[in-house]
Amino acid sequence: MKLTQLASIAAHPDRVWQVAPHPTLPFLATASADKSSKIISLLNFNTLTTLDGGHKRTVRSVAWKPNTEDEPVLATGSFDYNAGIWRQFEDEATEKKDWQFLVILEGHESEMKRVAWSAGGSFLATCSRDKSVWVWEEMDDDNFETVAVLQDHTQDVKCVAWHPEDVLLASGSYDNNIMLYKEGSDDWVCVKVLEGHESTVWSLEFEPLKSPKYSEERGSRLVSCSDDFTVKIWTRTEQTGLGSGGGQLPSILRGSQPKEEWECTATLPKAHSRSVYSVSWSKVTGRIVSCGGDGKIVVYEEAEDNEWKIVAEVGLAHGAYEINCVAWSTRYDKDKRGENDEIIISSCDDGKVNFWVLDEE
Amino acid sequence: ASATPAYLYDPFAAVPDLDFSGDSEEDDETPEPIDSQEIFDLVATMCDPEHPITLGELAVVNLDHIWITDDDNGLTKTVRLEFTPTITHCHLATVIGLGLVVRLQQSLPPKYRIDVRCREGTHTTDAQLNKQLADKERVLSALENETLMGLVGKMIETCK
Repeated sequence: MKLTQLASIAAHPDRVWQVAPHPTLPFLATASADKSSKIISLLNFNTLTTLDGGHKRTVRSVAWKPNTEDEPVLATGSFDYNAGIWRQFEDEATEKKDWQFLVILEGHESEMKRVAWSAGGSFLATCSRDKSVWVWEEMDDDNFETVAVLQDHTQDVKCVAWHPEDVLLASGSYDNNIMLYKEGSDDWVCVKVLEGHESTVWSLEFEPLKSPKYSEERGSRLVSCSDDFTVKIWTRTEQTGLGSGGGQLPSILRGSQPKEEWECTATLPKAHSRSVYSVSWSKVTGRIVSCGGDGKIVVYEEAEDNEWKIVAEVGLAHGAYEINCVAWSTRYDKDKRGENDEIIISSCDDGKVNFWVLDEE
Repeated sequence: ASATPAYLYDPFAAVPDLDFSGDSEEDDETPEPIDSQEIFDLVATMCDPEHPITLGELAVVNLDHIWITDDDNGLTKTVRLEFTPTITHCHLATVIGLGLVVRLQQSLPPKYRIDVRCREGTHTTDAQLNKQLADKERVLSALENETLMGLVGKMIETCK
């Protein structure tokens, strides 16, 4: 297959750390070292809004709250230790849409590295160089409470990701490990440590439920990428949980902790020669895309169960620059080919955001 | 000297002229590729963060410990510089490493990947130190730290 560049825009005057396409609406958000985020249209690739003035340092991460089509809500995480919550609203007088910086979430003691909303949107996870992962719950509109401070990692926590269905959180760290957390009978607890990467884990993503290769029988899967230059797949082999609430469990189980068993089931064919910074798992095709410090974008496909092959690769995808993020997104521009058409969005150190189409050769 | 590499702020800024003296009579249109001597000259005049002595004089940087390799993609190059702290428990080794990264980032075009590492066995915590220096996110967030950048600025002041 072949990756072709569809568009390239100079989105920021400085490094773009992350791009996040909205799950259901035709725009994406960026996180940049210029201390701002931008909302960019996926219909015509124009910048719609700049969200600035909220953070004093680099915006490292952005995440869209699910199920908020009417009034989109964006979380930002910054090197200024804080997370921000932004909401789009319609000015009743002018009927113009604008963005409001609503809430600032303070508590971390060092740079924030990633923010992620749970599938239902009720929890926000944040992680930081202070070695902790925090879970925030939105009690009522714009009122967030810290429900967990998880300090199981021994180093800088680089990334967090939520399971697409279960209340299960994963984090990856500079200590080379991935940890899984669940809500126990009293508190959130680390239920599993995934060891296998030989250096920093930069990014994580669970397999989307809609992926054609997703199988409940086989179990959920997680993809991770690392400074050890590899991309790995982890598969759930067993779980017991407290499910919807400890109170419904037989008394003998009350107080026992939920359990998760996962194992590494694949290491994708090696394609990168420097740190792999980002991975994304397509909900349409089940393909995985990765990018990294070597400036490459690589697409992998599962030929047979847990047997992956490279189907496309572009070197120097952002010229001489390192690529910090890749993400699959629904395609919305005028040349889209059907409802299920997808693009890959990438972002890099010189402030550009590129858009790619994957075609049969 | 400005502590912030122009590339980080304005990707469209012209690549600064590298003032490599020596080949004045040769006025080739295509510049010679940068060699390890030129890398050495860029960092040797930097100052130790604590003493008014240069990193070249202290043998913290050595010509023999600089390598430049072409990456497979045909465009980017990797500069590897291994430095030797003056003592194995030098508490400023991280600052020295960071200063070297900043100096090279400021001076070299974006196609150069810069790997600054503490030479193996020359510091009690060299493995830890090197993992930090290899971590882009940590290095870049350190560049936003004013205290640290003040120290780095002083190290670079003595260049030119």
